[in-house]
Amino acid sequence: MKISRRNFLKGSATTLFLAGFNFPVLANTDKKKNLVVIMLRGGMDGLCAVPIIGDKNFEKKRKDLILDETIKLNSDFALHPKLKNFHNLWQNNLGAIVHATNIPYTKRSHFDGQNLMETGGHTPYSIKTGWLGRGMKLGELKGDGLALALPMPLLLRGIPSNDNFYPSKKRLPRTELLQLLKSVYTDKSEHDLANMMEIIANRSMMNNGGTSMSRKNSSLAYKAGLELKKINGPRVAVFEVDGFDTHAAQGGVNGSHSDSLIEMDSIFKSLEKGLGEEIENTLVLTLTEFGRTIKQNGGRGTEHGYGSAIFMAGGLIKKSQVYTDWPGLKRKELFEGRDLNSTIDSRSVYASAMSTVFDIDFKRIQKEVFWGDKLQNLSEKLFKS
Amino acid sequence: MKNFYRKVAFGLGPDEKVPSDPLKWATNQLNDIPEFSWKGKILPEKKLRTYYREWVYGDRKVLRKKYKNDKDGYKREKNKLRHATGQKFWWNLELCIRYSEALKSTSPVLAKLWYFWGNHFAISEKDFLAQYTTGAYQREIIRANMNQNFEKMAQEATIGWSMIHHLDNEQNIGPKSQEAQWAREKGKTKGVNENHARELLELHTVSPDCGYTQEDVIQMAYIMSGWRPKWGKKRLETGDVHFNPDAHEPGTKTVLGKKYKRGRKSLSVAITDLVNHPSCRKFIAMKLCRYLITDNPTEEMMQPIIKAWEKSDGFLPEVHKAAIEVAFNYSDKYNKFQNPENWLLQMSKMADVDLIPSPSFMDLYQLGNKPIKDQRALERLMDELGQHPYLAKQPNGWSDISEDWMSPELLIRRLVYAREAYYKKSGKSQTTEFYEEMIEKNYDNSGEILKIIDQHRELVHKHVILFNLPETLKS
Repeated sequence: MKISRRNFLKGSATTLFLAGFNFPVLANTDKKKNLVVIMLRGGMDGLCAVPIIGDKNFEKKRKDLILDETIKLNSDFALHPKLKNFHNLWQNNLGAIVHATNIPYTKRSHFDGQNLMETGGHTPYSIKTGWLGRGMKLGELKGDGLALALPMPLLLRGIPSNDNFYPSKKRLPRTELLQLLKSVYTDKSEHDLANMMEIIANRSMMNNGGTSMSRKNSSLAYKAGLELKKINGPRVAVFEVDGFDTHAAQGGVNGSHSDSLIEMDSIFKSLEKGLGEEIENTLVLTLTEFGRTIKQNGGRGTEHGYGSAIFMAGGLIKKSQVYTDWPGLKRKELFEGRDLNSTIDSRSVYASAMSTVFDIDFKRIQKEVFWGDKLQNLSEKLFKS
Repeated sequence: MKNFYRKVAFGLGPDEKVPSDPLKWATNQLNDIPEFSWKGKILPEKKLRTYYREWVYGDRKVLRKKYKNDKDGYKREKNKLRHATGQKFWWNLELCIRYSEALKSTSPVLAKLWYFWGNHFAISEKDFLAQYTTGAYQREIIRANMNQNFEKMAQEATIGWSMIHHLDNEQNIGPKSQEAQWAREKGKTKGVNENHARELLELHTVSPDCGYTQEDVIQMAYIMSGWRPKWGKKRLETGDVHFNPDAHEPGTKTVLGKKYKRGRKSLSVAITDLVNHPSCRKFIAMKLCRYLITDNPTEEMMQPIIKAWEKSDGFLPEVHKAAIEVAFNYSDKYNKFQNPENWLLQMSKMADVDLIPSPSFMDLYQLGNKPIKDQRALERLMDELGQHPYLAKQPNGWSDISEDWMSPELLIRRLVYAREAYYKKSGKSQTTEFYEEMIEKNYDNSGEILKIIDQHRELVHKHVILFNLPETLKS
């Protein structure tokens, strides 16, 4: 087993701590790298967000949903015109896309699909932890996760002591009371509760000038960026964007799918603002349960499909590119004759991302997070080492 | 054993006697559907739907056009329309009705199961359904059928306006139907929308465990094609649900190996078959155990419920009694982490928190006006606690798995709202004696609990600690 420098430092520092020295301090030379995952719930339409240019099949099948004035990314692909912040990142070599990709799930149920996108497994509800939580466990990143949501997402489960932030408008009870509850939890072997109380008692974000904070994703993202920037702050953050399930009135540039994409785009912008220069040491990825049918349905919407796309941002991406093994959109090239195929198991992207950000050998992640499933190591193609 | 009162209901309130036979106390509540204990106004779903219609039509067809070049004017008029149609009020009224059943009725066990079924046949967050009709749907279609067979509830929920609209079945048009033909002649395409069909199989009846295929889903969608709200230029999508043969897919369909003829009757026949499939009763038994007892129900727990179902043909009072008895038998062995709503109701009941505004205060509301802040207290509180019952994120409703409710932020909510709740109590319940009696009545280890809370002097702190002890969080 190859011990990464960070793990080595953590290990030795802990030893020193136990031997009676002061708190462990990370060496300055050890770059803190962050991973942010934005979950796009409802089935993000990769072909709406990143349409292919000049494909007759595509134009014919969704006449009413074709976007005007898309932003050309390269000779083959364009970008949804409302994704202005992502386009900015792209122009600065801080934005990239993986296209025609998805988790290996083809049955088109939101609930099963969302369960699998978070667990990374094959059978819905059979795995109780998230791939990100398991990856963090492998990287010994206990207490380094932050969810910008009220319930803790499944994606982060598998490692204890994650934090979440979704500001309350009321003040916390006094510290002694929290300490008492914590000791009761500990006495009663309620370790999850004890861990949470520890986080609550130490929460710094609550006391932010006493003003109540907005819970908009754009504002949460700014706050998260500030936390990720701190050397002893969290290293992993998870966001949720809802509303991609546009069976009806998906619309064009101003339709309902655009609204959700714009919300995602606002996260990119605020994260960048909060992170400042640390955007260079950060990787942001999107995750969805499936794409949508190529063909528009009767309600000018789309149905649950298969292949979608992943947005990637931050300084840890190699370069601005649309990375894809494009399967084509002719009938026989489609999955079950109706959906964009997935030629890249999106878990390959996530495993490679964790390998890069957590400094863990890809093969270990493949084996211990994804049960040795056949995944490609895309670290070199997509990310900076 | 005392956690049984909290497990299947919300604990015992200050005026309630300790039942001599707890199991009987619980099962006796399940035979009939009593009148609502809420003494204020209760509006029928149909009336609330007309308010929803006024909102949808007014916004979509009138204001958006009239104010297309005047953003501020549009915003202003839209706000007026919100109040003219009661958008900020109705769902608060519904929450009053809902929570009165837990706190003021003589059948809190029925209320706890009502919440279960409302969540099973969930109407999740979509458009403004929650603000207008979801509460009424849960009253008229869910609760009203709790003394019927499961089949009746499933039939009515499936073709209820809320469900049909919520799961897009109005967009589900048979590709070979007359309507699809007309569309083709106009150069348009209309086709199947699988959403509702899939949820009927996956969430409402047989569950994926029964092994249906994508083809079964499509065939089910064909059966359901044509069921939709009666369209009108003014009523838009808010008309009553009817079967429109022009949108129905012709030909025979096959679902799970069984054939169904074309036509109106095929949906009801198919639902009958689905609810009688062994996977359906097993799925419901599992969910009842998961809701009441543990995240990981065993076969042993599920068996008596499945048997009661088989013996009574899915008669819900019998199914409920079996589930309650299982919960009783396992009450010492298992504690279930309570979701925020059930936790709040427990606290309110046991500690006598004045949670629900009075009927006379709610009835002061006048359409067209902005509701008073306190008339909106419940809606805001539920949102803060992280579980507004009409705003589940997905059609599978709110989770009943403990871990989904475990996070620092959610625990913070319980800390701060336990404190808020304390100040909503009457003076007579703000005494040490009150707490001693309540703890004695509701907890097996009352001595230990009293010792813990006695470490803080002020009663409000004792209150916050009590309602955040593992014994309360898990019942």
